[in-house]
Amino acid sequence: MHEIFEHTADLGLRATAPTLERLMADAARGLFEIIAGDLAQIRPRHDHTERFDVAGTDPTWLLFDWISELHAAFELRRMLFCGFDVSIDATGLHATAHGEPYDPARHTLAHEIKAITQHELSVVQTAGGWEATLIVDI
Amino acid sequence: MADTIRDTPPDRGFAGPLEPVDECTWRIPKSSRPGMLVDGLIFADERLIPQLRSDRAVEQVANVAFLPGIQTASLAMPDIHWGYGFCIGGVCATDPAVGGVVSPGGVGYDINCGVRLMRTNLSLADIEPVLVRLVNQLLQDVPVGVGQGGSHVFSPAELRMLMQEGVPFLKARGLATDDDVALAEAEGCIADARPEFVSDRALARGSDQCGTVGAGNHFIEVQVVDRVEDPAAASAFGLHAGQICVLIHSGSRGLGYQVCDDSLRALRDAPAKYGMSLPDRQLVCAPVESPEGQHYLGGMRAAANYAFCNRQLLMWQVREVFAQVLKKPWHSLGMELLYDVAHNIAKLERHQVGDTRKDVCVHRKGATRAFPAGHHDIPERYRAVGQPVIIPGDMGRASWVLRGGPRSMERSFGTTCHGAGRCLSRTAATKAARRRNIQEELLRGGVVARCRSREGLAEEQPQAYKDVDIVVEVVHRAGLSLKVARLRPLGVIKG
Repeated sequence: MHEIFEHTADLGLRATAPTLERLMADAARGLFEIIAGDLAQIRPRHDHTERFDVAGTDPTWLLFDWISELHAAFELRRMLFCGFDVSIDATGLHATAHGEPYDPARHTLAHEIKAITQHELSVVQTAGGWEATLIVDI
Repeated sequence: MADTIRDTPPDRGFAGPLEPVDECTWRIPKSSRPGMLVDGLIFADERLIPQLRSDRAVEQVANVAFLPGIQTASLAMPDIHWGYGFCIGGVCATDPAVGGVVSPGGVGYDINCGVRLMRTNLSLADIEPVLVRLVNQLLQDVPVGVGQGGSHVFSPAELRMLMQEGVPFLKARGLATDDDVALAEAEGCIADARPEFVSDRALARGSDQCGTVGAGNHFIEVQVVDRVEDPAAASAFGLHAGQICVLIHSGSRGLGYQVCDDSLRALRDAPAKYGMSLPDRQLVCAPVESPEGQHYLGGMRAAANYAFCNRQLLMWQVREVFAQVLKKPWHSLGMELLYDVAHNIAKLERHQVGDTRKDVCVHRKGATRAFPAGHHDIPERYRAVGQPVIIPGDMGRASWVLRGGPRSMERSFGTTCHGAGRCLSRTAATKAARRRNIQEELLRGGVVARCRSREGLAEEQPQAYKDVDIVVEVVHRAGLSLKVARLRPLGVIKG
């Protein structure tokens, strides 16, 4: 589960999940919701499934690097993703992202994200699992 | 959409001490938090204080006062609002000679985000009959919005040259005039740029974005000079009431964002290495004189030069659209650059600090250089009146042309505000726009607005911003910059 929260000039994303893997997947969906508005307009194509491997063990930096890589996939290759299979082991995060390239004829975009900021960035363990907070610069 | 959208205000505002110093200055005393090296000083009047206390920008002014080598005070302009690390509207000068730092967060992701104003010899009567066609053509021909690449595509080698040479690179290719170079801050090229410090990923993001507006608060506006407040200065700037101008607001696009992002990563361990304790991760920094500090400054200057070129190419495309719609060469329409000025940048400048003149690293994040009359860095034709300062307001009310004020050097390291400043968050603005047609509202107010995304108009509606007239009144009374002319929007394109 995730929510978009207020930040005066930018947008914040808060995700909660029972496991770290689901937290990372929910945060990723939140990122593409900010970019594209409605994830339902993205139709995953298996020839555009991408693999991501992010090294690290600190959950906060893992989140930051993972979301930054997904943002770069949109910026550099215009990829829009809507589904994520995430696993985490001692070496880092490994994920498969499902989606398709941006098509101006079919997709409307909502926001240009300049960057994923480190302001208020956190991943913490809670009674119910995990909570992540990050703010994106619009 | 998101599972829930929270409409409540941010978790906490600022409840700490904010003492009035005079009618337009407020102090956060350094004694209020252990670790502050200097006071915080905010230029504002009583009308702006409640909003100022409502988010975390004031706390950020206090946080910046922790930075090693900070001089005089951690400053903020009346358009202050919550940023990341530094507030937007923040000014911080550090002394490299005493270990003073440079912080990418003090510049922001959009390195050399800035504005340029172009004059024309057109009047309201000339433009009114073609305004809708003109704005539509601008939207069609000038790349604006998310995912919009431009028609000027540069190879990595060309980009490196562009970042080294700035606007003169474009002049050599017939895309800028002598005056386009002469009338930009730093003549469109900041010295000591190090394009080799710009990553391949940044080059890739920047390859087709030079000459594109982008989204968010960036725009191109057709405006009319609504009121002249200082006839002598207006005359020096070539402005008169009823004259049509074009205001362009954009920055260094994906290239600059990536340079900042790369620098924040590279500096992740620098505070520990240099023994600094910082109250916010986004304030990460390194001594100006350190290898890490020099690396950031070299890359930042390269990105700043890209931004000058971006605004130059945007202006060039606007000239071509005007020529096409009005069926006259743009030269005959008097489409001349008035000035181009950055409002997100760090520069080494010589300032008087106490009894000493010294070189300091001035960070301006959402703040505009405003050198007073006589300063040698002002183009000669404007030097007698002061540096032109261009303040975009919102797309429904007004923007301003100011000139550097007599007190800017002593009070704010030669700096003034950069805009109106947001007062509503993007989610609050979207909520306030439900069941309203912002485009029609603007049209009723005499503004033809075209926006690529449905979110753009709602989030950037005039009510999302403070009243720029109030913000400008504060900097005018504080002597940071003085009113020259007020401009009213007629047409706008946005992402």
